[in-house]
Amino acid sequence: MLGSAAANLIDPAVLFFVLGAAIGLLRSNLEIPPAIAKFLTLYLLMALGLKGGAALASGGLPAEGILAIIAAIAMAGFVPAYAFYFLSRRIDPFDSAAVAATYGSISAVTFITTQQFLSVKGVEFGGYMTVAMVLMETPAILMAVVLATAVRARQAALEVAVDDPNDDVFQPLSIREVLQEALTDGAQLLLIGSLVIGYLAGQDGKVEMSPFTADIFKGMLAFFLLEMGLLVGRQISEGRAKIDKELFLFAFLSPPINAAIALALAYLIGLQVGDAVLLAVLSSSASYIVVPAVARYAIPEARPGVYFTMALGMTFPFNILVGIPLYYAVAQSVWT
Amino acid sequence: MREIEEKKLLTIITPGELQRMVVEQLKKRGIGGYTVVSASGAGTSGLQSGMLISDSSVILYIIMSEERLQKVLVDMDKLMSRGYRVKAFYQDISILPRKKARTGGKS
Repeated sequence: MLGSAAANLIDPAVLFFVLGAAIGLLRSNLEIPPAIAKFLTLYLLMALGLKGGAALASGGLPAEGILAIIAAIAMAGFVPAYAFYFLSRRIDPFDSAAVAATYGSISAVTFITTQQFLSVKGVEFGGYMTVAMVLMETPAILMAVVLATAVRARQAALEVAVDDPNDDVFQPLSIREVLQEALTDGAQLLLIGSLVIGYLAGQDGKVEMSPFTADIFKGMLAFFLLEMGLLVGRQISEGRAKIDKELFLFAFLSPPINAAIALALAYLIGLQVGDAVLLAVLSSSASYIVVPAVARYAIPEARPGVYFTMALGMTFPFNILVGIPLYYAVAQSVWT
Repeated sequence: MREIEEKKLLTIITPGELQRMVVEQLKKRGIGGYTVVSASGAGTSGLQSGMLISDSSVILYIIMSEERLQKVLVDMDKLMSRGYRVKAFYQDISILPRKKARTGGKS
């Protein structure tokens, strides 16, 4: 297990993440232009979608893939449900709903880094796991919005109504509006579109696009992880968001717990080890792109500094540095 | 030369995700013209580095009449009351209008 973790730590992409975090913590003046940073996100999503689509075209959707997708959706419902139940008894219910959504959803970059980790180790995984990833993005957001709406209604019943019912600024957001916001998120649309294009283009398209999706992929991932490290380092050094003790513990304890549940589920339904590790990573990761974007809009009462900092500043580095090799080592020992 | 007009310049700082919502609210007050600039910074909501789509801020500049400004400020106050992270401030400006002023024009 330690050997696996050490091997992961000397992966160049992971080392660039560590370098970025160190530079951020030192408050160095290194800057990656925001436009390039955003481009790298889009590049990774596009490459991920194309590769996943091509893999789906060549491998199809076997019974194992359908089971993996069902398991992924089940985890996307289970994680926010228990997270909200646990947190809302301890902290502000709106913060609880937003954190539940963040942790019920996924981190595409953690998923990509895991795919790269598995590829280096020669472990196979299905293209359908990219479909599973896409499908895991939204249920948690919807559940959290429903929960936040319930909290709002409960609070409104306890307070004297001051809102004018005819005032459209005060009308609560409908599920349709939130769903539209989540599904039309640019990153999400690019990923789904790339998946479809990768599927339609098939193997020929994969070969044509490989200079873009394969040859330069690792370097681009390393560059992106450098940027993410910088962000994490600066989030920590700025230290502006006050994270409650319960949330701090949740940010570090829920990933291995979620991963353990996902691995048990994967074992029960007979997934191959690569798919099991990916399911574990999807279940243990937290969204810092799509969910924070939607939560700011749909759960404005929640503090973005809390759920964004937890996902990006705590859970993301934990999974990149410790989680991925840990989940892989556990899966290896159970599956063999 | 055109006649200089006295107007208000409203500046709104908000997360990029809320831009559409704020613009929709402005449209309801008959305001269709604005300028948007990407921004980064930090505040009580934490660091807005501008490096990710989810942690970028925008600054909206809107020129309008005093009368319309009061209505927009009420709207922004209501958004803030619901918890939306919006900062709004305004200043007096003198502007050389693109169109010559019409008698009875609204803004």
